[in-house]
Amino acid sequence: MSLFPLARDATAAKRAPALPPPSGCWRLAWQRPGGGEASLLITRRSALANAGLLLALLVASGVYLALGSVHLAPRSLAAVLVGGGDPVARFMVIELRLPRLVAACLTGAAFAVAGCLMQTLARNRLATPGIIGIDNGATAFAVASVVGLGVSLAPPAMALAGAATAAAITFGLTAGGGSRGYRFIVAGIGVGAVFGAVTQLLLARVDMDTANAAYPWTVGTLNARPAGALLVLGAGLAVGLAMALQLSRALSLMRFSDAVAQGLGSRVGCRRWQVLAVSVLLTGLAVAVAGPVGMVGLIGPEIARSLSCPRGVPIVASALAGALVMVLADLLGRVLLAPIELPVGIVTAVVGGPWLLWILLRPHRSLA
Amino acid sequence: MSQALLARPGPCLAATWLTLALLLMGVVLLSVLLGAGEVGPSRALAVLAGSGDPEARFVVGSLRLPRTLVGVAVGLALGVAGALLQAVTRNPLAEPGLLGVSAGSAFAVAVALLLGASATTLRVSAAQLGALAGCLCVLSVTRLRGVGSDPVRLVLAGAAFSGLLGSLTALLLLFDQRAADEIRFWVIGSLSGRRADDLLAVLPGLALAAAIVVSIARPLAALSLGERVAAGLGHRPGRVRLLVIVAVALLVGAATAVAGPVAFVGLVVPFAARALAGPDIRRVLWLCLPLGPLMVISADILSRLLVAPSEMPLGVLTALCGAPVLVAVVRARRMPIL
Repeated sequence: MSLFPLARDATAAKRAPALPPPSGCWRLAWQRPGGGEASLLITRRSALANAGLLLALLVASGVYLALGSVHLAPRSLAAVLVGGGDPVARFMVIELRLPRLVAACLTGAAFAVAGCLMQTLARNRLATPGIIGIDNGATAFAVASVVGLGVSLAPPAMALAGAATAAAITFGLTAGGGSRGYRFIVAGIGVGAVFGAVTQLLLARVDMDTANAAYPWTVGTLNARPAGALLVLGAGLAVGLAMALQLSRALSLMRFSDAVAQGLGSRVGCRRWQVLAVSVLLTGLAVAVAGPVGMVGLIGPEIARSLSCPRGVPIVASALAGALVMVLADLLGRVLLAPIELPVGIVTAVVGGPWLLWILLRPHRSLA
Repeated sequence: MSQALLARPGPCLAATWLTLALLLMGVVLLSVLLGAGEVGPSRALAVLAGSGDPEARFVVGSLRLPRTLVGVAVGLALGVAGALLQAVTRNPLAEPGLLGVSAGSAFAVAVALLLGASATTLRVSAAQLGALAGCLCVLSVTRLRGVGSDPVRLVLAGAAFSGLLGSLTALLLLFDQRAADEIRFWVIGSLSGRRADDLLAVLPGLALAAAIVVSIARPLAALSLGERVAAGLGHRPGRVRLLVIVAVALLVGAATAVAGPVAFVGLVVPFAARALAGPDIRRVLWLCLPLGPLMVISADILSRLLVAPSEMPLGVLTALCGAPVLVAVVRARRMPIL
């Protein structure tokens, strides 16, 4: 959703009659407390897309809470949600499924927003944190923390440090060629491979029980995730989303060339650092909760972009779509082959892999 | 690849080859002498000299020697396969592990295990079939306009393909605990616990591949000048390409069947060989013969010693030294042209 303040100046608003909004937009006007009028332009298509995604997310969440090893009827689910219901169902929904649902929504949103930011930054739809090795860096550091390698930092902090390290290495290695093009991405794949190997190395050193405890980190799962990391992610997502929204105008300029963005008054270098920082923050925190579920960062923004207005950078829509994808993927993983539970990372990889290949291999289409 | 290296005369190649072969023999000896267990170099040397206590004899004869020989076979197969694949796709980044050929072969083995196959020979043929399918995918993608002409984009597609196949393999393993236990350590690539049977099972495939490589080395060198030149010289590019693909599938399938998917060997070895021998594919192939085993066995020795008494997967070490090479190739302003 793009928010363009039209007229802030009270005198200007008094002098000129209100302009009709451009086609495809709604104009939202209100009286400011100090007198005068302020207004917002809301793109109709983006607003509708966000509303639709939100609705879909709510429906999916309902289904997520109702289905599982024990299916609940819609009526008993509603009873539980308003505070009643029988104790067993209540325990199941509130204690078991709800935290997991929250984890799915938060991680999905974080991965997708991080992906959207990184794609815009690199001007390439394939440059998501999962593909350029940032996920792997975060995983390697988080695993180092889990297996107790000297460092006494908690997994979220370590995952953040890992994400930052991997991003710094990838961007540092390709500094000469800029962050564009496939060389950047393949250098990222190389960095990711090194960090993947480091993860394996760490897991090879420890005993079986610790290795099993670190297993979720290698595939990405939402089963029994630590509550502390989830809280940190919630706070980080709020901060990250706010910063991303604030950056959205600079981002929509950044989609053109650097020269154009500079000419239109955006401080490109500074903005690029900010975007990178937000993306790394969100990736690191999300990996600390769910492990590397890379494909959500590709699929979420992809859906958001196809639904939203093509003018802006769909940050809110990406967050909603990412959460939706994550919830659906985890639901599939829990229900599809019950009683075996598929890790959500495998579900998203199996769905997202062909999608990625299709983006990559379809002829005569630019990826910008 | 500087011009000076390109023009290096023949005798020098023989000297390089001999040096590398000597190095390889040294590394093989080290691999037999060193280990994570209690049998140290002196006891192992005694065994090699003909005496030695029974425990050392068992460790050297039944554990370390077969393992080293399997490592030699895997290194040969992966190094040569990488050089061939790079020559036929004319892409310096075409590596069986990166492009999904190894992943295809691992997936085929997982399917075979799930269907009840357990004999090593059956596993080898399944792996080779899977590698063949993977190779055909790679070759058809290189014919696509857009992706095929861009080496880096092909690697990206390969990474996506490998990732997909890797998750499918993981998915299959969830169904079957027995197969999962059998395959869990195999799937990350290791030479640990390989026996002489494993070596025997892959030898036919390797021999067939060697015969194919010998027969197509000259047309392949001509093919590097372009399809029309090769055709003008009397070769049939389509047939050559098909044979190369079959050879690569045989080699990668055999290596994957015994050692699991080991990435980056097929990238690093031809890279080093080209740096030493210049762009001629025949000379590169010659140098790949000692270089491949050299890399695999060195990595295997390190994997035993670094985290002793436990062991590290081989793929970890090859990735640690291969990924920087990948980044270096990608970063080079001008990609080496094949």
